[in-house]
Amino acid sequence: MALVAYLFYQMGESSYKKTRLKGDPFISGNRPSKDPRDIHVGGDNLYWGFIHALRKYLDPLVEGHTGIVNDYVYWFVVTLAFVLVFLYLLI
Amino acid sequence: MNVDLLLQSPVFILGIPLLFAFLTPLADKVSKELRNAVFIIGLLLTALFVSLMAYEVYTIGSWTYVFGAEDPTAITDVSFFRITFLADGFAVLATLTIIITAVGVGIYSFGNMKDFDDLGKFYTLFLLTLAGVMGMVLTSDLFNLFVWFEVTSIASCGLIAYHNERGESVEAALKYMIISVIAGLLLLFSIGFFYGEYGVLNYFLIRDSMDGAFIDILAIGLVMVILSMKASSVPMHMWAPDAYSEAPDSITPFIAITSLGSLFVLFRLIFFVFRGAVEPSSIGNLLIILGVLSMFVGVSMALKQSDVKRLIAYLSVSQIGYMMMAVGVGFATLGTADYGAFGVNAVEGGFFHMINDGVYKALLFLSVGGIIYAADTRDLNRLGGLAHSMPFTTFFFIIGGLSIAGIPPLSGFSSKLLIYKSVYLYNPVLAIIALVVSIVTLALIGKIFFNAFLGPDQKIGMKIPRSMILSMGVLTVIIVIFSLFPNYVVSEIIAPAIEALGVAV
Repeated sequence: MALVAYLFYQMGESSYKKTRLKGDPFISGNRPSKDPRDIHVGGDNLYWGFIHALRKYLDPLVEGHTGIVNDYVYWFVVTLAFVLVFLYLLI
Repeated sequence: MNVDLLLQSPVFILGIPLLFAFLTPLADKVSKELRNAVFIIGLLLTALFVSLMAYEVYTIGSWTYVFGAEDPTAITDVSFFRITFLADGFAVLATLTIIITAVGVGIYSFGNMKDFDDLGKFYTLFLLTLAGVMGMVLTSDLFNLFVWFEVTSIASCGLIAYHNERGESVEAALKYMIISVIAGLLLLFSIGFFYGEYGVLNYFLIRDSMDGAFIDILAIGLVMVILSMKASSVPMHMWAPDAYSEAPDSITPFIAITSLGSLFVLFRLIFFVFRGAVEPSSIGNLLIILGVLSMFVGVSMALKQSDVKRLIAYLSVSQIGYMMMAVGVGFATLGTADYGAFGVNAVEGGFFHMINDGVYKALLFLSVGGIIYAADTRDLNRLGGLAHSMPFTTFFFIIGGLSIAGIPPLSGFSSKLLIYKSVYLYNPVLAIIALVVSIVTLALIGKIFFNAFLGPDQKIGMKIPRSMILSMGVLTVIIVIFSLFPNYVVSEIIAPAIEALGVAV
């Protein structure tokens, strides 16, 4: 697979001629910036649509991760209670 | 070599890191070079004795080491009050996983930490953590387990807070300490239940004494939840992304390996000690529930991260879920025809995934550490184009990333395939969830790869020290070996581990 990809790459590379626009990134028709940081679309922009579509699931999940240690202990206690009841009922 | 020395190897696996932990700060007073030499000698000697123990276990079989006995390796009756270590196939699997990561991380830290002062304390804490986690997986005494559990927690806490000029690191260490103290006290509480009920602490004796009384169930439940929390299982995982992301970059995989150590202890206890006292399906289903939650929530939370270390930390939580689910399926089928049909394969897959996870997770964390070292940021919004200046790190990240995502022919694929196939036969929904989580994991690895490595050269990268590249190279070679010979790993390392737990088919 890698070899096939490399052969395709080489075919394009050998016939490549540098002109004014060829090789420049296409960003919605906007004229590319000279600053490479503006050209690279990354970070939170990646999978934006996918994450936005899942917001009703993901947002409460993120809100649940408060970073407060009391909540960490709370979840420990809840899990402990669940496990003990589960084991007691099944055994 | 003297055969007796080989039989003493479990003690050396503990004793060497402990001894060198206290030699390192002394050597630091003389020179940095001597300190580094003492540290690496301690690490390599430990690795040597792990190899010797493995050789001995695979040639003559398992043995119990009784501390304080005139002939510590010749005693088979452990019905008295002494600390015992168990050298068997499972201990070999656990110690191998730990030492591979430890050596990789140790070499890496030479380059990664070279600009920091006071590294004597850093290496002391490193070796103490190594001794602690080795003690946890080698001991066959509950109170001794508590001691090593505490040693690991305290030393890890010091490592997480190592960059104490950063408020976030101190906060993460404080959270880790609170969680560890609660876990440690409750572990002691559960050990008290066992001791009060049976008057013994040894795994063998507790196993033979347990009759499934209410107090047993209480103690088993406590131990399960405590070790699951230390293994960063959802919903008790929240400390892990804090600790992993705020620990020094070189030490993050080692903190993660202490979580894996807790999981090893959990599996040792449920298979080896608690098996006869409880209905296997109840504990098995509990593990499956915790595993599925960990897989799904871990990968879901990773989707929202733009901090590259936190993202990998959540992926790490998700991978813990695979192991818990697979071993849960195996345990749930114990004693039925299904165990021989697919349950044992699920356990094989789970154990194989543990050793794989230890290696590729270390490689991922270390390559991400390389990114942070070079670009001085871990914000994915600010990274890009690093493949131009960091071709080796890019390659190592690709190997680790494809392995965690379970892409053939890498080792992660082999263990995940075993898990998918066996879990599907137990319940197809579990296999579908595992596959979906793998696909999202691949997408997230793609996200990091695209963000950090692709794009135009932003000239933000700087050269990383050779020791960092060397350590990542070593871990990559191990992944390649596991990928080329998965059958050999399963038959020579995983199968003896299952046999040691007494659940071989």
